[in-house]
Amino acid sequence: MRTSTFLNFLFLLIYKHKSKHIAISLISILIVFLISSVLFISSSIQKEVFQTLDAQSDFVVQKINSGKIVNTPNYWIDDFRDINGISNIQERVYGQYFFEPSKKYFTIVGIDLFEEATNKNINLLLKKLNISEFLSKDSMIIGNGVNEVFKKFHYFDDYSFKLHNREVKKVSIFKSLPKDANIIANDLIIMDIFLAKKILNIQEDESTDIVLNVPNELEQSNIKIELILKHLDIRVIQKDDIKKAYENLYNYKGGIFLILFIIVMITFGLILYQRYTMISSSDKKEIGILRAVGWSIKDVIKLKISETFIIAFISFLIGVIIAYIYVYFLNAPILSNIFLGFGNLENRVSYTPNIDFSTIITLFLFFIIPFISAVLIPTWKIAVIEPSESMK
Amino acid sequence: MIKITNLNKVFNQNTKKEFYALKDINIKIQTSSCVILKGVSGSGKSTLLSILGALSKPSSGDVIIHEDSIAKLPDLHSSAFRARNLGFIFQSYNLFNELNVEENISIPLVPLGFNQKEINEKVEFALKLANIEHKKDETVSNLSGGEKQRTAIARALVNNPDIILCDEPTANLDSVNSLKFIDVMRKLKELNKTIIIATHDPIFDNLDFVDDIINIKDGYILE
Amino acid sequence: MDIFLNNILLSNEIIVFLFTQVILLILLSISFFYSLSIIKNWDYSKTTQEQYKLEKRSYLVILIISFTMIIKIFLLPYFTYSIDILSHIVPGAMCAAGVIGANDYGQPLLSFKVILLFFIGTWMILNTLDLKEKTYPYTKKKFYFFILIFVLVIIETTLDILYLTNISTEEPVLCCSIIFGASSTGTQIPFNLNIPMLLVIFYLLYFLSIFVNVQKNPYLNIIVNTLFIYISYYAVTYFFGTYIYELPTHQCPFCMLQHEYNYIGYFIWGSLFLGVFFAFAYSMLKLLINKSLAYTLKYSLIFNTLFVFICTFYTLRFYFLNGVFL
Repeated sequence: MRTSTFLNFLFLLIYKHKSKHIAISLISILIVFLISSVLFISSSIQKEVFQTLDAQSDFVVQKINSGKIVNTPNYWIDDFRDINGISNIQERVYGQYFFEPSKKYFTIVGIDLFEEATNKNINLLLKKLNISEFLSKDSMIIGNGVNEVFKKFHYFDDYSFKLHNREVKKVSIFKSLPKDANIIANDLIIMDIFLAKKILNIQEDESTDIVLNVPNELEQSNIKIELILKHLDIRVIQKDDIKKAYENLYNYKGGIFLILFIIVMITFGLILYQRYTMISSSDKKEIGILRAVGWSIKDVIKLKISETFIIAFISFLIGVIIAYIYVYFLNAPILSNIFLGFGNLENRVSYTPNIDFSTIITLFLFFIIPFISAVLIPTWKIAVIEPSESMK
Repeated sequence: MIKITNLNKVFNQNTKKEFYALKDINIKIQTSSCVILKGVSGSGKSTLLSILGALSKPSSGDVIIHEDSIAKLPDLHSSAFRARNLGFIFQSYNLFNELNVEENISIPLVPLGFNQKEINEKVEFALKLANIEHKKDETVSNLSGGEKQRTAIARALVNNPDIILCDEPTANLDSVNSLKFIDVMRKLKELNKTIIIATHDPIFDNLDFVDDIINIKDGYILE
Repeated sequence: MDIFLNNILLSNEIIVFLFTQVILLILLSISFFYSLSIIKNWDYSKTTQEQYKLEKRSYLVILIISFTMIIKIFLLPYFTYSIDILSHIVPGAMCAAGVIGANDYGQPLLSFKVILLFFIGTWMILNTLDLKEKTYPYTKKKFYFFILIFVLVIIETTLDILYLTNISTEEPVLCCSIIFGASSTGTQIPFNLNIPMLLVIFYLLYFLSIFVNVQKNPYLNIIVNTLFIYISYYAVTYFFGTYIYELPTHQCPFCMLQHEYNYIGYFIWGSLFLGVFFAFAYSMLKLLINKSLAYTLKYSLIFNTLFVFICTFYTLRFYFLNGVFL
């Protein structure tokens, strides 16, 4: 049959029978919306994490004592400098600070303001910083989440950190990072490296760990071995390993979600099967009429399947578009917490769009194929009814 | 020429509800003739008509139309035959109530491969023939009984079939509309169509253009 | 439990892929049961209720197989794409080529998928022929053929699972420049041919396929076209591909499917598959129902020629633009 006339008739029928399809459409839209949102959120987070990760150094070296990570002695830096192929060795100072009023942890990062950091993001930050003003007194730069908490407890200009020896260190707030800087940066406090060491109770000749870069990729495995040989109590973490671990983690978490959704889709498929099997008598009559005036079983099946496909497709489009708006414009109010954890600071995060065409294709396949599969058999069943039976 | 040979139709065969609807039917119908199948409800005339119209299949026997055996044609071919050669008018009209007259009439043409322009032409032709052109944009649910019948007639004529089959066409019509229906049938006879009407309405008993009346009772032909 | 939580099986694309395969298998199993009763009892000349019921059932099987065909055609490039994504977590792999080589099931699986599509495509053509006749004469043969396809699908899905559950995320795989032997071109091509010989055989087989096409012998058609697709795989990977990538060491059959190369890979592999498919379909139909379909031979000729043309074009274009061969 001619495609254009078939399509005309198809759309005419769908339009006239709008109300018949509403229930299935709504459920479809809801399912597509949920699963798209989950996919969008996780891929945005993933991209951010990877961007941040990429900006990190190639190697992190830590000292281990009875299985636990302890502060790394700074003389290790000189030991490592001998190894060929290493560039940019630096000490890193960071740790957690327990903020009593809201019972949450901040992450404090100490930066040596006169050295070029191995972390590209921090470098960017430093370029814009007025260093002399920052160092005129003890100052800190805080992430958006920290800012909100401080404001809540009326710390507008400064906050006094409680040190381990019961002393207090007052640090003034220099500025706060903009909201969409980084999901990662949300509960971050950046300060001068010596100040950080004091607050985190790290000795002056120690650091939390040591980072270094190895520009030549092919040398990385060799240098890893040389690092390990230098000291007995050393642990070396390679950036690539972290990347892979994260990717596996995302696959794992994302995979679990998807498996849950498979169960949803199977249930949905059964619902569809039921709904399309029990068609109303007026539906049966219409098909009987079509067959009586010369439509073959093949034509009727083609009509019904196309009808179902169009409903599924339109529901899919609507679901994806709503999900897009929900995640990227409204910043996913409730679902966010499932991903980022309630334990963190009140994350007012904003997501940056990071979906490509292939994600949409995967989504589409995942939704459409069970949908159509579920209606194949019911459609056939009603298409083969004898016309005289269905018109009684 | 339509030839029906040794036609039998059994429902629920080999079960307790076994029922012989048609028994050993042999009929010859000449081309361009008008034949009335007369019998009360349950006599088997509707079953015979649906087998003639390739809408159901016989249990044994054959139906030969224009030298083609159509009783055992598989679905793809029987529906193609139906689409090209038959026009069916039902007792309860069997129209799509949400569509308008024009859309209903165009339905048989959709699987036949015509483009929209050709379809519009044929629909115009059928509308004129059935005298329902003035209502072509009206939704079917808003039509009167007689108008619905005329829409059904137009739909049966739209593909210009050789054979028109009518199943109790006047059962739901008043006398005025019944007469109008007969007028249309007369027109069709003049166009040399073969017309077969299954009915027990006495209004068809003494019509000038009817060539033959076949009486059916309990599945048998009465001589 | 461990085997199910491994990271390959948890990548989104693989989950969707396996889910789809399982759904198709379920649908085909239903068709299988219906086919059994059709094969046993089909008799066109009978006019019983049973026969009419069988006819109706046959329409369901046809519907399911048509649906399966459409989905499986789409799943083949999707599978390749999913494997490509996996290259991020399989150590050493830089694209799909590496991941395919991660275990012994990869290459056979891919070839098997293509062969399966050939069979299903032939079935669809057989079905069209069957339905065109008023007596549906080829029905029994058609359904026997379907049983064969069903068995092939079970094998394919089993191979899928075996392949996917045996990809290690710990052991490194060879990446394409080693598999396809950037430094040792001779050893990977079958029969230890070198490139010029490979090309000679490639073009020879092409002309032979034209001859066999005209000659219309079904056995020769299958043999020549099988050899042709086998040699073409190596010819494209080791020779023509390098002209597409304009790099003599980049010998990979997958990368040409990416958008950097204008997706030309789809045209190349597509036309090759179609050309060989139509020759295959012609031979199968001639052997099964003794019908000689001229149009399949025509399409086979057209697509094989298109394939050879695209390959030769890239080589010649490079030569004319740069004055030398790689």
